[in-house]
Amino acid sequence: MAKSVETLEQSIKDVPKAKKLESKKTWLSWGLLAPVLFFFILMSVLPTVWMFGLAFYDYTLTSAQNPRFVGFDNFRDFLANRALAGAVSRTLIFVLSAVILQTILGILIGVLFWKNDKMPGRRLALTLLFTPMVVTPIATSLFWKFILDPTLGVLNFFVSTFGFDRIDTLSSTTLAFPTLVFVDTWMWTPFMTLMTLAALGSVPKAELEAARVDRLPLTRLIRTVIWPHAKFILGLGLLLRIIDAFKTMDLAYVMTGGGPGDRTELIAVSLYRFAFKSFKLGYSSAVSVFLLFVAIALTAIYLYVLNARKKAEE
Amino acid sequence: MSDVTFKPKRKSGPIKFATIGAWLISLLFFLPIAWIVSTALKPKGSIVVSPPVFFFRPTFDNIIEALSFDNTLDYFTHSVIYSFGSVSLAILVSYLAAYSFSRFKPAGTDFLMFLLLSTRFVPAAAFVIPYFQLFNLLRLKDTYIGLIAFYTMFAIPFSVWILKGFLDGVSQRFDETGLVYGASRFHIMFKVILPQVKPGLVAAFVFNILFVWNEFLYNFQLGGAKTYGIPVGLFTGSTKGGGIDWAYVASIGTLYVLPLVVVIYVFQKYLLVGLTFGTVRGEV
Repeated sequence: MAKSVETLEQSIKDVPKAKKLESKKTWLSWGLLAPVLFFFILMSVLPTVWMFGLAFYDYTLTSAQNPRFVGFDNFRDFLANRALAGAVSRTLIFVLSAVILQTILGILIGVLFWKNDKMPGRRLALTLLFTPMVVTPIATSLFWKFILDPTLGVLNFFVSTFGFDRIDTLSSTTLAFPTLVFVDTWMWTPFMTLMTLAALGSVPKAELEAARVDRLPLTRLIRTVIWPHAKFILGLGLLLRIIDAFKTMDLAYVMTGGGPGDRTELIAVSLYRFAFKSFKLGYSSAVSVFLLFVAIALTAIYLYVLNARKKAEE
Repeated sequence: MSDVTFKPKRKSGPIKFATIGAWLISLLFFLPIAWIVSTALKPKGSIVVSPPVFFFRPTFDNIIEALSFDNTLDYFTHSVIYSFGSVSLAILVSYLAAYSFSRFKPAGTDFLMFLLLSTRFVPAAAFVIPYFQLFNLLRLKDTYIGLIAFYTMFAIPFSVWILKGFLDGVSQRFDETGLVYGASRFHIMFKVILPQVKPGLVAAFVFNILFVWNEFLYNFQLGGAKTYGIPVGLFTGSTKGGGIDWAYVASIGTLYVLPLVVVIYVFQKYLLVGLTFGTVRGEV
């Protein structure tokens, strides 16, 4: 059937009038794309090219010197910079610990809500649960700063009521980083819950019903019925979370400012500091170029999983 | 034997227990926000105190005072102008592009879709310098034109992805039938196909508004006194006069958060597609 349609289309294409139609189509397809391409070139391509250029210059806003072409020096400096290597490894630890926590908690809560698909007030309960992730990190960081405040904070009130010493978690060298992971987990566990619900929702009802009738044991139910369908959306959720955690900036910037010392200095915070505190534009652009490649690699992985899902569905 | 014992399983006991558990978890996650809202409603003089006050007569004094500050209302107005302006524009141009991607598949479609998505995966701080310099050069700093142009591009990737997903789900037969009957392409796009992708348009609109509304860094660096939005207002206003003005943070925070809760409640089924930039659709 498909073949005959193809040959039909081919024979239509051979007609001269159809060829004219084809070229009209090409013209139309690019015409429709033009506005998006306009914004893309002006607001994405141009800044990117600019950034690539800057990365090869020694350009510090505060110095009187004119920008000077230095080749790969910025990249060499960046690779040799121990503080930055520290920020990168700290970011990796942050991403790893936060995402693992969020995934485990998110799946558990997701399964709980999945089992309770007829609970009273489910929509309202989910709304309350989902709120933390849609509030801008600037606001949530300030909120948590208030809650964690050593003298005014409600959390320390309970700590002292139970007879412990009040703790300034955000300026403690040992606790600042875990606190950041904790707040990030509060913000983003609901996201993994959302993805878990979507993943479980992607399992065909008929297969679940058949498994129920067959009284499949739980481990086999998960392995043979749920996992083959759920793994894609769960995987995409995990990837999105990794990408987003790796971008974390506002949270650390507002809550701790990277401190105490460099305990919570994540790579995005360093980047911001290079640009707007020490005004080293060339150097920070070199770091940005590196991050751009990381982002492109992550996008490629993400789309790979997305396409794997499409293929599995066909 | 088994046919004798076969009865519909009644699981009311554990289900109820699970329901309570699910509700408790939701409330626990909402608790920090509830605390901020309650702080905003406290009488003056019982906010910055230790120990914290738990029982009080609610008052709107803090919120009224925060709103009476010179630029509080301006922040809200600015946010509304640039987010609605840019998202409306973004959705219009994205619809055209998504239609082209879905129906004509011009060479490089996949690559362009890839590039668009990757722009949303880069840390925001990585691009702030080139934008900053570009905006200074083009004299776009602290102008609506500049910010709307920036946020339009900010909203395009998600809009294109989600609208293409929905357009792919609408059969090409509709376009073909329309053409056979002599309808113009314009008519087909806006009168025949557009109504069928309404959920996609709604999701793109709501979530892009949300993203733009929440964006901080670029508004802070590319905007100015004439165009600062709420997140910047919250950030700069909070530190007025040395220490942090917690009454202000709680009041503005409350005014900012409560509409979001309503949005999440009303548009819950679009949340998934929204937070995955249009790449995943499904039931929750």
